[in-house]
Amino acid sequence: MNKNKNVDAEFGVDSRYKTKKERDADSVALMQSRLDRMKNLSEEDILRAKLLQLKLKMEKYLMEPVYDNKHHFTQFLVTYVDTIYSKRSDFAKDINVTANFLSKVINSHREPKEEFILKLMIHSEKVFKTISEFHNTVWYQVYYREKLRKRCRVKINGDL
Amino acid sequence: MNIVHVSTGTIFQVDILPVDELDFKLLTKARYFFSWNKEKGEEVYKLVIKGQKDILGLVSIERIPSEWRIHIRLLTVSKENKGSAKVYDKIAGNLITHVAKIAVEEFGEKACVSLRPKNAIANHYIKKYKMNRTGMTLSLEVPEILNLIKLYDEDE
Repeated sequence: MNKNKNVDAEFGVDSRYKTKKERDADSVALMQSRLDRMKNLSEEDILRAKLLQLKLKMEKYLMEPVYDNKHHFTQFLVTYVDTIYSKRSDFAKDINVTANFLSKVINSHREPKEEFILKLMIHSEKVFKTISEFHNTVWYQVYYREKLRKRCRVKINGDL
Repeated sequence: MNIVHVSTGTIFQVDILPVDELDFKLLTKARYFFSWNKEKGEEVYKLVIKGQKDILGLVSIERIPSEWRIHIRLLTVSKENKGSAKVYDKIAGNLITHVAKIAVEEFGEKACVSLRPKNAIANHYIKKYKMNRTGMTLSLEVPEILNLIKLYDEDE
């Protein structure tokens, strides 16, 4: 009998709060339990969560229209490096580029060469292996989307 | 993300998209169990097979940034996908995973998805999605939320 109930269990859930009192009580109790559980989170779980967050942000950037003038590629790169390494020079060493070159890319003083993006892609594939599927073109897509947008903007301004 | 055609085992890729104004006209209580029109103005998503329009499942959510939480207000599959004679499997799981992705994208390691199912079905959610229970509320947090996303992503 119970088994049949469970088969049907997913047809729907209505979990809308009926009253503010109910909602507030829920919020307080849930937050307390969560804070207790958060204390026991391992460093590895926190790292996995931060990297998955980065991946999802990159995918969102590729899906949605962008109107700002920010350096998205370098912002994502900084988040990636700083999430995994305490020193950026260690990342530079791991992908066999100089710390100076990495610094210039991060500060948008130099274009990342194709070889750099390739190394970044290989590094990311290894890092994300235990977290979530990380498509090997994501870094390229982010970089070229931003570049294309800037080119278009320059052309439009030039035409005007 | 994908769903499985139960009788043939065929896998279909799915899209989870925001519900638009026109969709609400199709969301009858007879097929989707709840009065979805009352959710107009909320953040509502539909699950469809890629390239098709028929809505197989729905979820409406509330973002609560002050608590790093996304609360599932309403979740359903379409009538023909309910129970042991369902046409497609994994609809609800995909919808919950979609909400989980929004939560992780927004809140990182503090991400939380919550819902309040009736007691009779709470155990099903706890068992299937490894949810935590606090009073009447079930929640999905790190690390379970990460494992769920990985599971449904790897199923590609």
